[in-house]
Amino acid sequence: MSLWLCLRFDQLPLQCLDRNERQPVVVLAAQRVICANDCASALGIQPGMGSATVRALAADEPVRLLERDEQTEQSCMHQLCSWAYGITPTLCTWQEHCLQLEIGGCLTLFRGLQPLLAEIIRGVSSKGFSMLQGLAPTPKAAWLLSFADKDSAMAIDQALEERLAPLPLDHLATVTQGIDSLRRAGLHTLGDVLALPPASLGRRCGKAFTDFLQQLLGQRDDLQVSFTPPASFTDAVWFGYEVKTCDELLPAVQQLLQSLCHFLRNTQLRTSEVTWQLVGVDHTLLDLRVRSASSHSDWENWYQLSCIHFARLQLTNGVEGLNLDCQDLQLGQQDSIDLFSPRNQREPLAALLDRLRNRLGLQAIETVDCRDEHLPEFSVQVGNELTGSRPGPRNRSAQRPFWLMPQPVPLRQQGESLYWNGVLTLHYGPERIEDNWWRQAVSRDYYIAADAAGQQYWLFRDRLERRWYIHGVFA
Amino acid sequence: MNEMLEQVIKRNDTWRGRQDYFRAGGASANSNLHGAQGLPTGYSTLDAELRQQGWPTDGMVELLSDGCGMGAMGVFLPAMEQLSEQARWQTFIAPPYIPYAPLLAARGIDTGQILMVHPRSREDLLWATEQALRSTTCSAVFSWLGAQEYRYSELRRLQLAAADSDSLAVLFRPNQIQGHHTPASLRLQMREYRKVRILKQRGGQRVIDVTLPPEEDSPQQPQLWELPQNPGAGQPAGAAEYRA
Repeated sequence: MSLWLCLRFDQLPLQCLDRNERQPVVVLAAQRVICANDCASALGIQPGMGSATVRALAADEPVRLLERDEQTEQSCMHQLCSWAYGITPTLCTWQEHCLQLEIGGCLTLFRGLQPLLAEIIRGVSSKGFSMLQGLAPTPKAAWLLSFADKDSAMAIDQALEERLAPLPLDHLATVTQGIDSLRRAGLHTLGDVLALPPASLGRRCGKAFTDFLQQLLGQRDDLQVSFTPPASFTDAVWFGYEVKTCDELLPAVQQLLQSLCHFLRNTQLRTSEVTWQLVGVDHTLLDLRVRSASSHSDWENWYQLSCIHFARLQLTNGVEGLNLDCQDLQLGQQDSIDLFSPRNQREPLAALLDRLRNRLGLQAIETVDCRDEHLPEFSVQVGNELTGSRPGPRNRSAQRPFWLMPQPVPLRQQGESLYWNGVLTLHYGPERIEDNWWRQAVSRDYYIAADAAGQQYWLFRDRLERRWYIHGVFA
Repeated sequence: MNEMLEQVIKRNDTWRGRQDYFRAGGASANSNLHGAQGLPTGYSTLDAELRQQGWPTDGMVELLSDGCGMGAMGVFLPAMEQLSEQARWQTFIAPPYIPYAPLLAARGIDTGQILMVHPRSREDLLWATEQALRSTTCSAVFSWLGAQEYRYSELRRLQLAAADSDSLAVLFRPNQIQGHHTPASLRLQMREYRKVRILKQRGGQRVIDVTLPPEEDSPQQPQLWELPQNPGAGQPAGAAEYRA
């Protein structure tokens, strides 16, 4: 059974700009008032008045006059849609400031209508918006009922026509035509209209009107284009006061990350990069990018990584707002940890890599790999990215050191002896390695030498340069 | 905690029930084995002298050596080979040089598991070591602390992190700090190849010298401490011969 809930945000143009309740605030569009907050209504300001009237009514009170900002309204509606997607997958926006949610299929999940309504009320009030609700079997009826008083708007047990009857016809003016002729005929409420035979209504007012009435009562299908969540996510927290230390930002960081991860879980997407933007009191923007080697949707992980970045941040001026932006979303597989292995590995391997990289930088973490080359410095490959390990070299009987110096270091030669922290005596060798003739020929004789304390080193004599170098340490 | 309780716990003959005993592969709780089983070192003489018959996984190992460490890494090669079965990271934090990957591969260690971390400051070094120990994704953590001064409290943090995790934690430090007090559960010193000196062991009292016998090295793998027995090579001439 389909049950539609309409949420009408009548104060959205005002609340998306300024939620101040202590001062009268008025939103103007083309010099006419469209929204006024409670303080302003107390002064007598009504929608439809001109700005001069507003100023006259306000007299000495400091009234804020704001221009209507359609972009902010749209982004607020967008955020509300993204939040409502967590309640039901079938939802759409209606007209300008209404959200239609199909909640008939979600009643079992929320274990009843009342808990679901409570959840919705909690969600909307935590975002700071005020709304009017209407509950009906069809979307258009739900929208109309949001104009009714609270009791009949939510009483689904009553018959639909009874609830719609007292509503005035003026509300329909935005949706259909032909209302004027009905009003001239002396019909003022919806009840009067619904009592008339539909055939003669159709002849009088047109087919569109009767179609509308049929959709209203559920006799005709009313198909709406459902909302699909976008492939990017933005959310913001506005503090309203100046935040001076990073510790105070952390609860807001947590809240934003939780809403991001809700969104990611709803849409079955993952992300590997998240951008924080700090809005300063002087309107400066500071960007912080947090990256992860593996894309995942675990908010605690992202929180840890973001904390690493925030801990290093020095706030020079106060911060008023915090934005979270996430553009890079992909579908992905989550790697799982083996449940039955005896060791207790509690997180995927990439998590440690992320933490170290985020604090020390990408260049500080390296992996090694083998290559099948004769020259020792080419047979070890050091890189920042993870590579699959290749099979070992063929020559297993050669004696090789544990440590290899990144570049061979020239040795000091005095007379007949070589010096490196003391005199070196050659013990074993030579082993000739010649390679790289196509680029720059290298010919070396490798020896194993020991110093006075007994530490063994791997040195070579470059035959082309006739110099001795040290290349490795046997540790 | 209560001081008297602490003293009782520190005694040799107090057995403290711990999570490790109830592992799937470990000894049962009422067995005769009253200590945690260590990771076998690969050398029977060293296993015999260590308290847990192997490297302790419930604490840190501190290895003192001079310069490049006489065989400091070679002692751990058999353990690294065993740990590479676990498919977790083997982390080198602030290593002095690059590990020679073909030698590691020839010794049976998976080089894809080696992670090298180069922290820039002392605090970053301690932080990285602690993170590697606390994350359960490392089977071995080798950390070169260098010649700087470290406070007992900082090292104790690392010891606690190592105690909580099941990774092998090794700190490499210079010989000069031999007189300093350390919270590590095992302190070794290497001054020549094949000789390990156990300076301090939790539960042990005296300084023990252990010789690592060459018979125990696996012959098909390349050796690290011996000169190779290559019948073809003669004694090398000195540097003088090459001056021409």
